[in-house]
Amino acid sequence: MAREADIVDEIRAEYVKDVLKNGQRVDGRELLAYRPFSVQKGVFPNAEGSALAKLGDTQVAAGIKFDILEPFADRPTEGVFTVQCEFLPLAHPTFEAGPPNENSIELARIVDRGIRSGECVDVEKFFIEEGKVLGLFVDLYVLDHCGNLSDCASLAAMAALTDAKIPKVEEAKIVRQEYSGALPLQRLVLSSTFEKINGTVLLDADGDEDAASEGRLVLAVSDDGFLCASQKSKRAAFHAEEILALFDLAKDKTAPLFRAIKA
Amino acid sequence: MKDFIVPGEVLYAEPRRFDGSFVEDNQTFSSVLSVKYDDKVVPLKGKYTPVVSDYVIGVIKEERFSGYEIDINSPYEGTLSSRDLRESFEVGQVVSAVIRAVDEVNEALLVEPRKLWGGHIVEVESVKIPRVIGRNNSMVMMLEQYTGSRIFVGKNGRIYVKGGNAALALLAILKIAKEAHVHGLTDRVKAFLEEEYRKAGKTPSASSSLLSEPAEAREERDESMP
Amino acid sequence: MEKEKKLIVDGKRADGRGMEDLRPLSIKAGVLKRADGSALIEWGRNKVLAAAYGPREVFPKHLSNVHKAIINCRYAMAPFSSIEEHGRSGPNRRAIEIGKVAKHVFENIVLTKQFPKTQIDISMEVLQSDGGTRVAGITAASVALADAGIPMKDLVQGVSLGRVEGQLVADLDKYEDNQGEADVPLIVSLRSREILLFQQDGMLTKEELARMFEMGFKGAEAVRAVQVQALKDRYYGPHELNEDG
Repeated sequence: MAREADIVDEIRAEYVKDVLKNGQRVDGRELLAYRPFSVQKGVFPNAEGSALAKLGDTQVAAGIKFDILEPFADRPTEGVFTVQCEFLPLAHPTFEAGPPNENSIELARIVDRGIRSGECVDVEKFFIEEGKVLGLFVDLYVLDHCGNLSDCASLAAMAALTDAKIPKVEEAKIVRQEYSGALPLQRLVLSSTFEKINGTVLLDADGDEDAASEGRLVLAVSDDGFLCASQKSKRAAFHAEEILALFDLAKDKTAPLFRAIKA
Repeated sequence: MKDFIVPGEVLYAEPRRFDGSFVEDNQTFSSVLSVKYDDKVVPLKGKYTPVVSDYVIGVIKEERFSGYEIDINSPYEGTLSSRDLRESFEVGQVVSAVIRAVDEVNEALLVEPRKLWGGHIVEVESVKIPRVIGRNNSMVMMLEQYTGSRIFVGKNGRIYVKGGNAALALLAILKIAKEAHVHGLTDRVKAFLEEEYRKAGKTPSASSSLLSEPAEAREERDESMP
Repeated sequence: MEKEKKLIVDGKRADGRGMEDLRPLSIKAGVLKRADGSALIEWGRNKVLAAAYGPREVFPKHLSNVHKAIINCRYAMAPFSSIEEHGRSGPNRRAIEIGKVAKHVFENIVLTKQFPKTQIDISMEVLQSDGGTRVAGITAASVALADAGIPMKDLVQGVSLGRVEGQLVADLDKYEDNQGEADVPLIVSLRSREILLFQQDGMLTKEELARMFEMGFKGAEAVRAVQVQALKDRYYGPHELNEDG
């Protein structure tokens, strides 16, 4: 059982809704604008790749580690790719330590599916010898939850992957801190997350807007314009035309984020 | 001259007892981040602990047989006793009230609840509230004059803003809270308010609220500044 | 492993430090928006994020104490924090033990009696590890508690001490820690001259331990100066500091 959401949050959510009635946001942003964002790569050099992404006050760190694993029986020559996500208790007053819950699992899965279906990482290159392949772990660490975790997490994950190096393997063992080269990526994938509040759609909810949101649409798009993964979440529904229009918007809105990662 | 004080520093060579300090070996030490001006110590941070006769702004959290539980922006709860009440409240209702009593575990008995409708709440560190009020209410009066809003200041760090240019009033209050410890606060807040109006090309009196502004008795205001 | 590599040559350690020199240390207070107080410490290659929430209502309620605030303390290492393999998520047995001894430090210095029936939650998340993470974490948590306005008797801090190739050294990095013969993490209160956390591994003589305590208190003074500056920077930009009140 989790700590109940603060009743005061509901009061703040009401404020968000009131202001939104006039087409405005509490922080003065346009409805479809991102907050200022930043990505810092290589922040944890012990890891094989890492990044810290900030989206407004939201902060997510990502770390990449490689290990030698047994391949899955049905894919004996493919490496293993895993995304995990932790909502650290320090990130929000209602977060508690413990096993992943439905929210952290949903978030990890959204990021995982985007990267996987975008075929960003070529896992066929991770074969070492019979019974041994490289496993790539992406760990997402939510440090400060002030809304729109999905986009901040996808930004952190993708930035960490672009920072990642493949470790040197000798006699089927990883030589730590020595690398055989950068991790090649076939394309990049990032998400844009839209929230629906009283029928109004906005991009990149802050903490109060997140609490006020009735419907959520996460669209993961690739830098070459494909929709790679989507997730409709929360109660409110979206129309087909709405989703199609938001797909176009997601391509537009992620462009500066892709640029920041490639820089 | 002003000193920045961290927990554990000697404040006075003799015992004195006040919030944000403790006494050991007949000396007084700081227990929280503070600023010391001449002989005066002002804490920079701290949560609100209920004090008898404080005016506070609360949110109804739970209804019970004996009355209501109120969130008063504190580790401790306020309660309204059904014996003192002539009306009922819904969960989530914002109320102003006065603390009549505080028990041994700091729970506060509230009286004179009044429903607050249609405005906004902003929360600041309760230790900053004296600066939001200002000497003889000067800061609150200035904010009201520039924004046309009605402002109720709870000692518990919650401020209720209603009508007028509420968004500007909220921004100004957040500025006060952020810069409360820096010299020349009143002048800076005044310059900020004037600048915002200049940018908007408006005069203070021409301001209008973003939000609904139901009529409410003006005399309630005076209770907010005991 | 690399047995032949000497860690101390001509009175200098592998990274050029003298025996008592600390690695570069920086602390930033107030790095998280949600938490009541927070701090990021970077100490050598260590990066530890600490945060404090509270005092707040106890959850679940039956755990509350009518005489004082209870303190919960979490120490955990990120799965990507070490040079070695991918780690497990969440605290392991070592981390739970560290969380417990860290909790005792804060039970000592926080004025818990001022806040009956409440809890204070402290988190220390090791994002990158390089030896001495518990000391770094508690040093950062102390700043986070001050940043949260939680009343305390002192701002506490420490250093880890050890013996490497027969010599006593302060602030061991991971390599020295792995190769070292003894290991003593220490957290102290400089005001009361008390030791609040003391753990020890490896054989030491009484003289060696006494010398380590001396080195620990001396190191703590340097660490404290960085903590105080971090808290000052939180409230006063460098230029505002001279402005007269």
